[in-house]
This record gives sequence, C-alpha cells and structure tokens, in this order.
Amino acid sequence: MSFAVADEFLAPPPAAPPGIVVRGVSRAFGSVRALDGIDLEARAGRVTALVGPNGSGKTTLLLVLAGLLVPDAGSVRIAGHDPVTEGPAARARTGWMPDAFGTWDSLTARQVLLTFAAAYRIPPVTARLRVDELLATVHLTEFADRPASVLSRGQKQRLGLARALVHQPDVLLLDEPASGLDPRSRVDLRLLLRRLADDGCTVLVSSHVLAELEEMADDAVFISRGRTVVPTPVTTQSTWHVRALSLGALTTWLTSVGATWQPGDGSSPDGPGSVLMEVSGEAGAAALVRDAVAAGVPLTSLGPVTGSLEQAYLTLEEERR
Amino acid sequence: MTAMSPVAIDDTVPASGRAPRSGTWRLTWQGVRTVAQLELRQRVRSTRWVVALVVWFVVVGGLTLLLSGALSSETMGSETETGPLMFGAVVYLVLGLGLLVTPTLTSTTVNGDRNAGTLATLQVTLLSPAEIALGKLAAAWLAACVFLLISVPFLVLALFRGNTPPSALLRVVVIVALLLAAVCGIGLGFSALVSRTAGSTVLTFMSVAALVLLTPTLFGLTFPSITQEEQVTVWAPPASWNYDGQPECELTTQTRDVSHTERTWWLLGINPFVVVADGAGTRPTPPPDDTGGGTADPLGSIRDGVRDLRSPDKVLDECWMYGEGTAPAAPDRHTPGPVWPWGLAANLLLGVVGFVVAVRRLTIPSRKLPRGTRVA
Ligand SMILES: Nc1ncnc2c1ncn2[C@@H]1O[C@H](COP(=O)(O)OP(=O)(O)O)[C@@H](O)[C@H]1O
Ligand SMILES: [Mg+2]
Repeated sequence: MSFAVADEFLAPPPAAPPGIVVRGVSRAFGSVRALDGIDLEARAGRVTALVGPNGSGKTTLLLVLAGLLVPDAGSVRIAGHDPVTEGPAARARTGWMPDAFGTWDSLTARQVLLTFAAAYRIPPVTARLRVDELLATVHLTEFADRPASVLSRGQKQRLGLARALVHQPDVLLLDEPASGLDPRSRVDLRLLLRRLADDGCTVLVSSHVLAELEEMADDAVFISRGRTVVPTPVTTQSTWHVRALSLGALTTWLTSVGATWQPGDGSSPDGPGSVLMEVSGEAGAAALVRDAVAAGVPLTSLGPVTGSLEQAYLTLEEERR
Repeated sequence: MTAMSPVAIDDTVPASGRAPRSGTWRLTWQGVRTVAQLELRQRVRSTRWVVALVVWFVVVGGLTLLLSGALSSETMGSETETGPLMFGAVVYLVLGLGLLVTPTLTSTTVNGDRNAGTLATLQVTLLSPAEIALGKLAAAWLAACVFLLISVPFLVLALFRGNTPPSALLRVVVIVALLLAAVCGIGLGFSALVSRTAGSTVLTFMSVAALVLLTPTLFGLTFPSITQEEQVTVWAPPASWNYDGQPECELTTQTRDVSHTERTWWLLGINPFVVVADGAGTRPTPPPDDTGGGTADPLGSIRDGVRDLRSPDKVLDECWMYGEGTAPAAPDRHTPGPVWPWGLAANLLLGVVGFVVAVRRLTIPSRKLPRGTRVA
C-alpha cells in the first residue's frame, strides 16, 4: 500500500493503474527472513519511495520485483505480469538498477549500452539513436568512448541508470540511485524521474537518505524487518529547531516558561546554539517567536527540523539490523 | 513510454499465455552473438590475451623445432620413419597445452561475472539463460580454436616429414577442437555451480586431469581384477614339438591367464589422448612380418593397442614367432572397430552436462542462491 506521508503528497487521480502490486511477499535466506509479508502498490505516473533502514529488505524486494528471486510466498504483478510465471513479459517492462553497478572493464560506456540494447532485442539502428540520446540524458556524452572502468562512482551510477532505461521500461526499480551522485546529478536525477513518471512510468526508488527521497517522491512505503509498516500519521505537533545567539539565554528562558526541549547543537551556554522542541504548527511557532523576543532572547532562526518523510520515519518503531 | 524519445521498440515479448518455462531454452542467433561478442571484447581487449597467444606460438614452435632436431635423420636413421613420430609428438604437444589453457577460458565465466556484479544485469534482460550460457561457451571455444589454429603451421611442418596422410591433419584439428569444446562446457558448468572462481578453476583442472591421468591409472589398477585363469583356445606348436624345424601348429584348449580388457577398455577410450590417436587416421600399421625395423607411429600404436584391448583375440596365437602363417582362426577374427567416436561422445556428453548445469543455474527467478552470494 502506498501511504500519503503528508498534505503535500496528495492522492493522485484514482484512474492511474498500479504499475507494481505486491501482496504478502515473503522471502528467506536460510534462517534470515529478509522479507516477511510485504504489501505495496506503486502507481503509474508517480514516484514511490521505498524507505527503510539498512537490512530491512529493500534490495531483496527489488530483486523479487526485477524477477531475479522467487518469493517464498505472496504474489507480485509488474505492469500486470507475474515475474515468476511470465518472466520475459515482466522483464521487458522492467528497468532495474542495482545499488552497485558492475561494468565490464574493457567496454566503453557506449558499448555497454549498445550491448544491453541488443540484449533487449532492440534493432541496431534504433539502438544507436537511443544510446546517443541516453548518454546525453545522463550527461555522459563526453565519456561515451572511454572505457567504463575509468568512470567515477557517480558516473558509473549514471551509466547504470541509462542502462536501466535502455528499453524504455514501464516500471523503473532503482536501488539507492542517488548514492555517490553529486548535488547537480541528484537534481538531474530528480528531474529525470519526474519526467519519466509524468510520462506514465511507475518509479520505485529505494533509499535511506530521506532528504533526497523527500524531494522526488510522491508516495512512500516504509519497510522495516521485511514488513511494510504504517508510520503513525504526522501530527500537527512537530519538532522544530530553535536557534539563538546565546544558548544559555534561550534554555534559561525555555525552562522558566516550563517548555520541554532537547539539546540541539552548541555546547557552551555563552555561545550561539540551538535546541529541539515540539511546536504545534506555524501558529505555535509564531507564538514562540513573539514570546521569546518579548523576553529578550536573542533568537536567530526557527524552523521545522526535517521533512515529513523523516518525521514519519522517526516515528517507526524499529531497529537497524 | 518514457519522456526521452519517440523511438519505437517493437514488442518481441512472447504472449503472456505461454508456458512458464518457455524462455529458458530459447535460442536466437542474435542473442548468442550478443553475449559472445561481449565476452570476446572483454577478453580480446586485454593485452593478457595477446601475450598468451604469443607465448603459445613461441612454446609450440620452439618445442616443434627441438623435436625436429632430435628426430633428424642423423639420430634416427632413415628420414621417412620419423614422419609419423614427429606428427604424433606435435599433436600431443598441442593437445596437452590446449587442455592446460582451455579450462581457464570458461572456469570463471559465470561466477566471475556474478562477483563483478555484471551477471544479474544481463540476466534481467530478454536474453534467455541458454543464450547467455551458449554465448559464453561459444566465445571461450572460439578463443580455444584460435590457439589451435596458430598451431596448425607446426602440424603441417610435421606432415612434410612424410608418411602421414594429409587427412590426418584435418581429423586431428577437428577432434581436438571438439575435445576443447567439451572442456569449455565442463568449465562453464563448474563456474555456474561454485561461487568462488578459484574453486571452479581447480575443479575444472581436476576434471581434465581425471580424464587424462586418472583413466589410465584406473585401467592399470583394475587390470588384476579382470585377469583370471580360463580355458582358452590356443594356436600353438604341439606339445610333442622338440624345437626343431618348423612346428606343425595346432588348435588346443589350454589354461591361460586371460585379461578381460573388453570390460575396462573404455577407461582408456575416454582419454582425450587416446581419442585423438584413434581418430587421427594415420597409416595402418604394417603387418609384423614386414621387416622394416618396426614403425615409429605413436598415434597408430595407441590406436591398435586400444582397439585390441576392446576386443581381445578369441584365439591366442602362440605360433607367430615361428613365422608359420597366421592362426586358422584368422577368417573369423573380427577387425576391431574404432573407439574414438565413443570416447569423443563421452567427452562431449560431459561438456553438455556442464552446459545444462549452467543454463539451469542461470535461470531466473532463482529459488536458491549459491551459498555466500548475493544477487546484487
Ligand atoms: N543472499 C543472501 N543470503 C543471506 N542473507 C541475505 C542475502 N541477501 C540479503 N540477506 C539478508 O537479508 C536482509 C535484507 O537485506 P537487504 O534486502 O539487502 O537490505 P537493504 O537493501 O534494505 O539494506 C539482511 O539482513 C541481509 O543480511
Ligand atoms: Mg540495499
């Protein structure tokens, strides 16, 4: 199921057909239950974030969706096809980008893409056009004829993305695509995924870097210990950063008015510093500013700590594995 | 579908109503070529490959020249006698080195790709498992054939020594190429079965060593167990013969140690060196009474030896040393058939088993993973 994280993630028009439907999928490796009953639905035309801590089963789920692993139980539909019983049909519509993209040492970036185009049975003439276009899309045109092994990690990651797009898939599965990307490339990635989704693609992106998911995702699915979990909805109470020129003045005042707060950054009471505290929405923040200024606290800034994804994530009761 | 292009891709995906496993054994020329090309590019670009070819050429060439020096007319007498010996030596040199080099061509091809993270990305494409396996096999076999082809000049050199039919060259090259294909298949199977590249390489070399060294050893070790005392027909001088003049040989039934090598000949028959010797088709061995000082044709001798082991004579001829014609059993003495088709088939079967194992291991989605591996 997809979970609307906050107001900004409004429900889409209901007409969009689901690109990915997962029902009760489990998968164990020996005694490790990597997936333990996953339910999720990712709709076409939307970017869905797959959020979970390390070892929660994100990669395993994407492997099942990509048709590489048989689930022990449950059912999967990729654009209407079961990757287990209709492997080729499902794979033809799926673009999968693994978290670590291996390349062949002695092939150039262009040859890598042409090889995959041939592997997807794209006619050579079409493939050449497509590959040029993809290289431009991921800004690797100038590296097109250099060995893929000399590309930097971020460039390899972009080549991996191009590889996943070579056959124009309907469903895109990206495993931590932004790791190793510079800020510019992250923005490009976000814009590209947006464009793909707008064109009707179903995009599922896994990551544990929430800030970057926040920017690109329409929906979010949380998994923890191989299970889909529903975070407690984001309440109006949220955590804010309150920063002042003098940490001591701020904390003294907060304590005197009976507010609860947690230490933020800054340690010496004389120097600047900040605290974290629960504030009820914008109105609460406005009241806080007014009262603090009136009490002579040298306030410098005030803002919500995190995006709504991080808020939701932090409410999950889970542990890292 | 995507934002990027108006380029249309024709939908070659089979209709969803097909049987579940239909994709596994699907073979197209285009798919096999894609994989083979990828493998060859990956190899040929590396300088290691060129170095290996040069080393091979120098080693085979150097040893051939040394041999031809050692087998020169001064040391061996009449020039014509050394032709088959020279040819046999070069053939065995090429086969031996080929069996040493070929295992490395496929023994890391699947698990190496898995470790490098390139296998899964290839598996999720529309290439069938059979296409991936066959492409890898074809690329490795082509590479092995290149080694074989650059050895041909030295085989031709040996032919010029005479007494070897030119057809033997063609037969040897084809049989060695097929044997190397079998080795490629064995290596492919192990590389798909074992997760460590070192493990699969060792297993492939051990399989080849078993074929080459273990088979004659086993043949020798089992020899006592197939030997027993039996009543046999013997064509021998009469007991009354006093070693004077020509004996009147006669057929008698006597007790002799008989080795039933017809039960174990196949141990030698599957040995690649025997397969090549039997299949080479060098000149028939002249009859023993031809006093040409014997022949130095190693391939021919091995051929005759293994064929005799396969169908031992029904009648023991103990009269031949007295120069008195042939045993009267000669008419029903069957000419033993060639053993190389069986041996070659057995080797190729091993290769096919390796190939099938690889295809099964490459089939996705996978239920079990090799221990200690991740898909990605
Ligand atoms: N091939 C495997 N063999 C054994 N355990 C595995 C294998 N793949 C994943 N696991 C285990 O399954 C759990 C989920 O892993 P993974 O899906 O990679 O997590 P994530 O991508 O969310 O970090 C982990 O505890 C991991 O150790
Ligand atoms: Mg992962």
